[in-house]
Amino acid sequence: MGLVHGEEMVLNIGPQHPATHGVLRLQVRTDGEVVSQITPYMGYLHRCFEKHCENVTYEQVIPYTDRCDYLSSMSMNFGYVVAMERLMDIKVNERVEHIRVVMAELQRIASHLLCTGVFGLDLGAFTPFLWALRDRERILDLFEFTCGARLLYNYMWVGGLSHDIPVGFVESTFEFLDYFEPKIDELENILAHNKILVERSADIGVMPKDIAISYGVTGPNLRASGVKWDLRKNDSYSIYDRFEFDIPIGEGKKGTVGDCWDRFYVRILEMRESVKIIRQALASMPKDGDVHQSLPKKIRPPKGSVYARTETPRGDLGYYIESDGSPIPYRLKMRSPAFTALSVMDEIAAGWLLSDVLAILGSLDIVLGEIDR
Amino acid sequence: MSQEKEKLIAELVNKGLDGDMDSVNACEDRVTRSKVKAMIMKIKKGSLDRPQMPVSLSDTPNESDDTGKTDDKTTEDISQKIKNMLLDNFPDETDETGQDGHMYVRPDKWLDIATWLKSESSLLFDSLQCQMGIDVGEDILESRYNLHSMVHDHYLEVRIRVARSNAKIPSVEQVWRIADWFERETYDMLGIEYVGHRDLRRILLPDDWEGWPLRKDYKEQETYHGIVVPKMKEGWD
Repeated sequence: MGLVHGEEMVLNIGPQHPATHGVLRLQVRTDGEVVSQITPYMGYLHRCFEKHCENVTYEQVIPYTDRCDYLSSMSMNFGYVVAMERLMDIKVNERVEHIRVVMAELQRIASHLLCTGVFGLDLGAFTPFLWALRDRERILDLFEFTCGARLLYNYMWVGGLSHDIPVGFVESTFEFLDYFEPKIDELENILAHNKILVERSADIGVMPKDIAISYGVTGPNLRASGVKWDLRKNDSYSIYDRFEFDIPIGEGKKGTVGDCWDRFYVRILEMRESVKIIRQALASMPKDGDVHQSLPKKIRPPKGSVYARTETPRGDLGYYIESDGSPIPYRLKMRSPAFTALSVMDEIAAGWLLSDVLAILGSLDIVLGEIDR
Repeated sequence: MSQEKEKLIAELVNKGLDGDMDSVNACEDRVTRSKVKAMIMKIKKGSLDRPQMPVSLSDTPNESDDTGKTDDKTTEDISQKIKNMLLDNFPDETDETGQDGHMYVRPDKWLDIATWLKSESSLLFDSLQCQMGIDVGEDILESRYNLHSMVHDHYLEVRIRVARSNAKIPSVEQVWRIADWFERETYDMLGIEYVGHRDLRRILLPDDWEGWPLRKDYKEQETYHGIVVPKMKEGWD
C-alpha cells in the first residue's frame, strides 16, 4: 500500500505542554497525521550548570547536582561523590556505603513510580497516576525523615553523608517495603495489561539494539531493547556487587522487543529488583560507623581527571572532572542520560502517528532539568 | 644521568630485547622510555652492544604496591595494548604522551581513526560514552572522547588538541550518532567547529547568543534583546 501524501504541516508541541514533561519544544513536521521529522529544541531551562561549577568549590557543586535531575536527586549526588572519591582516592566505611545504596534504590523506585504513572497519564489513564504518586509520597516521607528535604536533598557528601539515618528509619523502610510490594502488582495489573495501554504502546516506537547503542541510549531504555547492560553489575561501583538481583530486559511480550510497552514494563520489573536490593542492604547494614569519618577537612583533589559513571533511574550518569589541584573544579562535565535518550527521538518516532509521538516521548522518561543543565 | 636511571634503562632494554615490550611501554617517564626504545633500535642494527642486566631492581616496591590490585593492572595492560595498536596503525597521527588510559590524536585523520576504532574487530568501540570540550589555557582547546566497547568491555579516552585560532576537528557524528548532539554542545560552549557535521548549531543557548561561555576568557554580553544580562556577583567565597 503506497502512502498518500497530504499537505505538509509544521507543528510545535511545547514549550508549554503537559506531555513534554517540562519545557521542551518539539518541532514536528507532519504529512497528514504521519510524522515525518521531529526536531527537539531545548535550552529553555539552561542554567549554565557547568559554568557555575567552575566558580564554586567542590562541596558547593553537590546542591547543583540535585537540581539537575530533580526527580532523582539522590542518584545525582551519588554519581558525583563516586567520581570525586575516585579522584581523591577516598574509601568510605561500610555503613555509609549501605545507606547510600538504600537511598539510591529508594530513589529509583520513586522515579520509576513517577515515570510509569505519568506514562499512563499521557495515554489517558488517570487513576494509576494517583496511585503511583500516593506510594511515591511515602518514599519522600522517608527522605524527609532522614535529611529534612523532600525533593532536593544535598544528602551524600564527598567522603560520607550529611546526616546519619534517624532512629527508626530501618523499621519504617521495612514497613514501607512490605506495604509497597503488593502495590507493584496492583500497578502492573491496572496498567501493563490494560487493553488500551497495550494498544497504544505495543509495537510503537521500536528502538533496535544497534540504534540504541549508537545513540548512547542507556539505562532502562537500553535494557528494553534487549541489551543486558546495567552499570550496577557490569561496572560495579560502591557495593552493588554484593547484592543479588536480576537485570530485567525487554522481551517483547506484547509486541516487538524495544517498543514503548517494553520500556514501560522494564521499569515495573526494576522496581521489584530495587526492593530486593534494599532488603539485602538493610539487613546487612552495620549497626555502628560514623558517617562523617572520611569527610576530608578541605576538598583539594590532586591534579588530574576522572570519568566515572553510575546507574541512575534514567541511565548512565557520567561526571568528567578535571582538577588543577585547587579547591575549585577546573572543568566539570555532566554526561546526562536523558540528553542522549532525547536525541534518539527523531530516529524512532518518525513514521508514526502524531498521537504516538507523545507515547514515545513518555516512554523515554526524560527530565528537562537534566537535559538543559 | 643518575645511576638508578641508568640501571632502569639497562633493565628495560634487556626486557624489550627479550620480547617484553609491554614493560617498556609501561614506563611512565617519557624521556626514559624514548631512550630505551632508541637503544633497542641501535642494538638491533648492531651499532651498540647489549647492556648487562642489572641485579635486583627498583621495581620491587612497585610490585608490593600492586598486590591486591590485580584488576587495575589488567585494565592498564589492556589500555596499553590498545594504545600500541593505534601507534602501529596510525604512527603519524597519534602521540603516545599521556598516561592512564588516554592518548592524544592529531585532528587531521580523526575521522579515519574513529571509524577504525569502531570497526576493528579486536577493539569494537561501539559506544561513545562522553564527549567534552575543555579550554586548557595557552590558547589551546581540547576535545575529549570517552569510548567504550560493549562487546569487549574496555575503555579508551582520546584527546584532540587544537589552537583557538584554528579550532577545527573532523566530526564523528556519522560514526557514533550521539556525537551529533555532543558536538553541538561542545560547539555551543567552546566554539570548536566540527567539520563535516550536518547540523552544527547551538543547542542549549539561543542561536543569537554571543561568545563561548566555557572558554576561560569569556565575557558576558552586556544586553540580550534589550534585557540586561546579570553579572556574576563579586566577592563570593
